[in-house]
Amino acid sequence: MANLNIDSVKARTFDAIVIGSGISGGWAAKELTGHGLKTLVLERGRDVKHIKDYPTTNKFPWEFEHHGQLPAAVTEANPIASRCYAFGEDSAHFFVKDNEHPYVQEKPFDWIRGYQVGGKSLLWARQTQRWSDFDFEGPARDGFAVDWPIRYKDIAPWYSYVEKFAGIAGNKDGIPELPDGEFLPGYPLNDVEEYFAAHLKTNYKNRHVISARCAHLSKPNQIHLDQGRGQCQNRDLCQRGCPFGGYFSSNSSTIPWAERSGNMTLRPFSVVESIIYDEKLGKATGVRIVDTNTKETIEYFARIIFVNAAAINTNLVLLNSTSSRFPNGFGNDSGVLGKYIAFHNYSAHISAEYDGLKEWTVDGRSPTGGYIPRFRNVYKQETNFLRGYACGFSGYRYQQHKYDGVGSSLKEGLVKGDLSPWGVYSHMMGETIPKESNHVSLDPKLKDNWGVPLLKISVDYDDNDEKMKKDYIEQLTEMFTSAGFKNIQPSTNHQAPGLDIHEMGGVRMGNDPKTSILNKWNQVHACKNVFVTDGACMTSTSCQNPSLTYMAITARAADYAVSEMKKGNV
Amino acid sequence: MNRRTVIKNLALVLGGAVLLPSCLHSDGTTFVQLKHIDLSADQEKLIGDICETIIPKTNTPGAKELKLPPFVLKMLDDCYNKKDQQAFLAGLLKFTDMVKTKYNSSFGDLSAKDREAVLVGIENSAKSNNAAKTPARRPRPQKHLQDDPLMAFYWGLKQQTIFAYTTSQYFMTKLVFYDMVPGRYIVHYPVSKLKLA
Repeated sequence: MANLNIDSVKARTFDAIVIGSGISGGWAAKELTGHGLKTLVLERGRDVKHIKDYPTTNKFPWEFEHHGQLPAAVTEANPIASRCYAFGEDSAHFFVKDNEHPYVQEKPFDWIRGYQVGGKSLLWARQTQRWSDFDFEGPARDGFAVDWPIRYKDIAPWYSYVEKFAGIAGNKDGIPELPDGEFLPGYPLNDVEEYFAAHLKTNYKNRHVISARCAHLSKPNQIHLDQGRGQCQNRDLCQRGCPFGGYFSSNSSTIPWAERSGNMTLRPFSVVESIIYDEKLGKATGVRIVDTNTKETIEYFARIIFVNAAAINTNLVLLNSTSSRFPNGFGNDSGVLGKYIAFHNYSAHISAEYDGLKEWTVDGRSPTGGYIPRFRNVYKQETNFLRGYACGFSGYRYQQHKYDGVGSSLKEGLVKGDLSPWGVYSHMMGETIPKESNHVSLDPKLKDNWGVPLLKISVDYDDNDEKMKKDYIEQLTEMFTSAGFKNIQPSTNHQAPGLDIHEMGGVRMGNDPKTSILNKWNQVHACKNVFVTDGACMTSTSCQNPSLTYMAITARAADYAVSEMKKGNV
Repeated sequence: MNRRTVIKNLALVLGGAVLLPSCLHSDGTTFVQLKHIDLSADQEKLIGDICETIIPKTNTPGAKELKLPPFVLKMLDDCYNKKDQQAFLAGLLKFTDMVKTKYNSSFGDLSAKDREAVLVGIENSAKSNNAAKTPARRPRPQKHLQDDPLMAFYWGLKQQTIFAYTTSQYFMTKLVFYDMVPGRYIVHYPVSKLKLA
C-alpha cells in the first residue's frame, strides 16, 4: 500500500461495503444507503448507466451490422455465452466473453455471466414467483440438504416490500403453493392458454395455468414513476436494456435510487480479491480489491460487508478469503463452503398444435407467458423422485409465409400468408437436490489476470433429475393429449448445468453452524458482520425463478444488519 | 470462370494453406471488402445475379436496387464458419459448371426465364431428395450449411437473400409494419381485425 496515512484510510472507510451490483447487490445498496449508511458498492466490471449505456436499445433490425445474426468469429470464440438464448448481436456487450474470464470445468458447466454495473439484472427473464412453505420445508420433509432456518412467514413481508418497489405484474391466483403478492395488473393469458387452464382445472386436481408473474410495469405506481420508470411498452427487446425502465433491473431502479440518497460510492472496475479478517477484533474489517485498469491492490474498510458477487463468484470470494482463523475459506468452520451447489433442470420441453379457437389471436406482445406451478409431490410424496418441476406454458400463432421458389411469387409469399393454427410450447423448470459432490473449489495453480485463483466447477445432474425429466415428458404429453393437442413433440436435451442461469448454494443458510455457513439472517455464523444474500445462500432451489427471493432475502438481511449496528452488535 | 479462378477456389475447397496472390482478380471491382472468403469479381457478380433472380425487381424494388448483394456477401463472409464457406465456394464452382454444361453460357447471360428455371430446378431436385432447406417459419438462415456443395451454395444464398430482404428497411417499413413499440397486449383478438399484409 502506497498510502497508509490516516487520511487515506479514512477516505477508504465506509459504514458498509456491498460486493456486486446485480439484482441482490443493487437491493443491498438501496437498503443500506436508505438507512443512511455510507456505502461503497464494488463492481468488477464497467459502469452501465440506465438508458445512456444501452447502445442498441432503439435500433431497428436493419441498423445492426448483421441484422441481428452473430458473426461466426463471435460464436466460435464464445461457445459458452453463445448457448444462452439471450446472447445476440443486440446484447453481446452485456455478456462475459469466454476467453476474458476462464474457469475450469471439471464437469461441463455453462457459466453465464454479466460483468458490469447491474450484472445479469439487465439480461434476466424477469420471472418473479414467490416461494411458499412447501418449498422452505422441502429439505426437512424430504431429508436432503439441511433445514431452511426461515419459513414463509419470515420472508412474506419482505416479498411484499420488494414487489411494491420493483413492480410485479400478476394476478391473485389463490394457490397456496405459489402465494399471491403485491401485484400490478397481470398480463392476460391468451385464448389457447385459457383453454388449457380450463382443461386442467376440470380434469386434474391441483394443476393450474396462471399468468407468470413478472417484473414489468403493466401499470406503474407513483413509486415507479419516482424511480424515473414508465410503463412497459411490450417491445420484447428487454436484453438490450429498456429505455422506458419497463422492467426491473439494478440499473433502472435500485442503483440510481441508492445514488440519489447521496450515500453511495459506486466503484466499477474493482475485483474483490478477498475479505479482510482481523484476528484480534474477531470480525471482518474490509475487503481487498484489485483495480482492473491499474492492477493496483487497494483495501477498503467498513463495519459491515454484504457479499452479492453472484452465486458462484461469492463462493470464490469466500474461498479465497483465508486467514489463520479461517484457513479453509471465510466462515468455513463446517467445511461445507463451496459444496451443495444446485441449479434448475431445464433440459426438457414439448410443443404441440391446437386446431381450435381459430377465430382468435392476440395483438401486441406480452412480456411474460403462462406458468404451471409445481404439482408433483407438493402435499405428499407421490412419485419415485424427490420434489418436482414448474412448467412454462405459452400459446402462439404466427403468419405462415411461403418460401418456395424464386421471383415474384416468392416476394408475394414473404409478405402475405395466413395465420398458423395455435402452437403451444412448454419447458420444464425442475428442482435439483443439493449434494456435497456438486461443488466449486479454487484451482491450486491457475490464476486470472488479477491474481485471483481460477474457480473449478464440478456440478452434474443425478438420477433424480433423470426421473423428473421423464415424468415431465410423460405428464405433459398426457395433459396435452387429453386437451386435444395434436402433433405433440416432446424433446430432451443434455444442456450443461449453468445454462439455466439459476446456479445456487455453496454458502448455504442453516440453523446449525456445524452444517451451514449462514444463519437465518444471512450472517456468517462465525463472523457476524459479513452477510451473504445472493444465490450462494440458498439451502435448496425449489423450482421458482430465484431472483425475487434473493431480493426479499437481501432487503430482510439489510434491515437486520442496520438494527444490529444500531444496537452495537456488529 | 477462368481456369485460374477454378484452381484458386479448389485450393480453398481443399482447405490447403495455399496462398495465392490477390492479383488473380480479373478486375478490381468488388461489392465489399471480404475478410474470410476470396471471390473474383465475376463470382461476386454471379451472386448478385442470383440474388436478383430470387428477389427480382417487379412493381417493387429488387435485390440489386435494395443493395442486398453486398449484405449477402458480408453475411457469407462473417456468419459462416470455414467449413461452411468452403462448401459454399465449392458449390459456387459446381453451379457455374452446371449452368455452363446445360446452357453453354454463364448465368448472367441467360434470360430471366432461364435463370429462374435454373434455380427452381435445383430447388425441385432438392425437394425430391428431401434436401430442401427453406425455413419453415421465421426467415432466419440456418447456422450451418449442408455438406453437399451445390445445396450449401444454393440454400445458403437463398436463405441469406430472404433474410437480407425481409430485414431490410424497405421491407420492414414499406411492405410490412415492424411494430417496435406495440405498447399493448390484447388477447381474444379477432383474426378478422388483424391487419395481415
